[in-house]
Amino acid sequence: MALVCLGLSHRTAPLPVRERFAIAEARVPATLQLLRETGLADEAVILSTCNRVELYAVTALEPARAFAELQSFLTNCVEYRDPLNDELYKLSEPASIEHLFRVACGLDSMVLGETEVLGQLKKAYELALQHKFTGGRLNKAFQKAFNVAKHIRTETNIQRGATSVAAVAVELAEKIFSALSGHQVMVIGAGDTSEKAARALLSRGAQSVIVANRTYDRAAELAKELNGRAVHWDRWSEEFDKIDIVISSTAAPHHIIDRSKIDAVMKRRRGRPLLLIDIAVPRDIEPEVNFLDNVYLYNVDDLQAIADDYIRQRKEEIVRCDAIIRDRARELTSARPPQTSSGAQRPAFGHD
Amino acid sequence: MLTDRQFFELAVFVYGVSLLYSVFLLRQGLRRDTWVNYFVLLAGFGAHTVAVLQRGVEQHRCPIGNLYEVTSFIIWTIAGAYLVMGLWGRVRSFGAFVAPVVFGVGVFALLVPPDSAANYRGGLVSAHVALIALAYGAFGLGSIAAAMYLVQDRNLKLHKLRAALSFLPPIQRLEAIMSGLLSAGFALLTAGLAFAPMLAKQQDVVALLRGDPKIMWSALVWLIYLALVVLRWGFRQHGKRLAWGAVASFTFVMLTFWGFNLLSPIHNP
Repeated sequence: MALVCLGLSHRTAPLPVRERFAIAEARVPATLQLLRETGLADEAVILSTCNRVELYAVTALEPARAFAELQSFLTNCVEYRDPLNDELYKLSEPASIEHLFRVACGLDSMVLGETEVLGQLKKAYELALQHKFTGGRLNKAFQKAFNVAKHIRTETNIQRGATSVAAVAVELAEKIFSALSGHQVMVIGAGDTSEKAARALLSRGAQSVIVANRTYDRAAELAKELNGRAVHWDRWSEEFDKIDIVISSTAAPHHIIDRSKIDAVMKRRRGRPLLLIDIAVPRDIEPEVNFLDNVYLYNVDDLQAIADDYIRQRKEEIVRCDAIIRDRARELTSARPPQTSSGAQRPAFGHD
Repeated sequence: MLTDRQFFELAVFVYGVSLLYSVFLLRQGLRRDTWVNYFVLLAGFGAHTVAVLQRGVEQHRCPIGNLYEVTSFIIWTIAGAYLVMGLWGRVRSFGAFVAPVVFGVGVFALLVPPDSAANYRGGLVSAHVALIALAYGAFGLGSIAAAMYLVQDRNLKLHKLRAALSFLPPIQRLEAIMSGLLSAGFALLTAGLAFAPMLAKQQDVVALLRGDPKIMWSALVWLIYLALVVLRWGFRQHGKRLAWGAVASFTFVMLTFWGFNLLSPIHNP
């Protein structure tokens, strides 16, 4: 009995192929039921996300035959008739177990170290468990995968730091303010990145958002989405005394916030810190503003450089993570009880 | 069995180890968690505590009776207060800034002859000395928070990547800690100095009238910290100026404390 993995991911298949292989959550139990009826595998879990579709199966078949049969089953299920080259990967032990662990840890994700996939993997496993499609082998392998993911999260820096401009903005705000609760955010220019940054700040507890845009209707629309308040373009500077974080992303060809304007504001604020995030190109905020006491200015290059460094730092951790994963996979395979004379280790499809 | 002095030397040595590790941490931009440094300082504090207790037991008195003992007590207060604060993960990185202070002042204390005699005796004197030593401990920690504030402020403005990656607490929290410690230290100093007129009756009043250097110095220190507290709470002074004030004031205290003690006939009979 071997644990095999057959699947495709963002690394091997483009989106048009991935979307054709995607299996909606509601269809997963029926697909697993079909697999059960073929007798190809004793246990199985299907993981289907926007970046990957993978079938983890425990089979008594010889690997080459198992992969051929499982591929045929999968393509039939999703009615994929086009030729496949290297899009599908076929992994047998120990590579299949190591791959499962890498997926759980976010090492195989598009954003290295992200944690969303762990939740998706848990959900896929629970769905299979609930419908009794798992048995001793997959239960152990998945439990171990969750355990390894937790260990790697705490022992390495693979998940440390923000990797998007919006998330870096939040991280910097948290380096200035003790807590984001009680701090107001102003969005000047209702762009996509500023909206994401504002949402991220709100999700971390920022009190409320004030939106200013040249088109008032767009400001009102975004303010409504963010449960905030819109102000007219010619009146945004009047709000400056109340706010602590400014995200600016207008299409203005010149600076709309200069040193003298902020200098006057800071006198009224009596030194309360002010975080300015300028994600506009050309820049909205005069760079000299950063020389004022208690004013912290970041432009899009600053934020991107921080995000890139976090990604680089995460990449440096891959070697450590892989070493942990290899050890844990070896532990799992060596801990397997000896097979019975019939070769069967567990009854098929969790009928134990 | 080691003597109290040897335990103190051991403590200063361990604080020195912590200083070396702190330099390493700071050079890396405090990117790592500082548990190791916390435990090194805890070890130093353990040896230091034994030194303080052993001296108290051997001398049958509160071990703050002379310059060496008071200096040791100030360091012990700073290290102990950090270890309590350091239980809270977000300010554990304080250790990298505490280590230079406790090591530096510790070396100074080792230069002072370990007189076994107590220059100061009696309940009132003990309260006076202990409260003032605690006040200097609070000012010391406040200046450490201020130094961290200045480092983080500089990083946030100029070394943005380092600011994002470091384990330093947010500057607003550092400012709150600094302000709180300055206020607490000022209250302790005021309370400690309030005992002085009662003590003066037992001491050389003539020397007082001539203007004892340590008393003049203490009045100056009190005024400096009063100014800082008034600036912070009265004029809502935030940020860098207050932080520079806290660092400069404590540096002044540490550089002049021993000298004025030695010049004072009352404090150094």
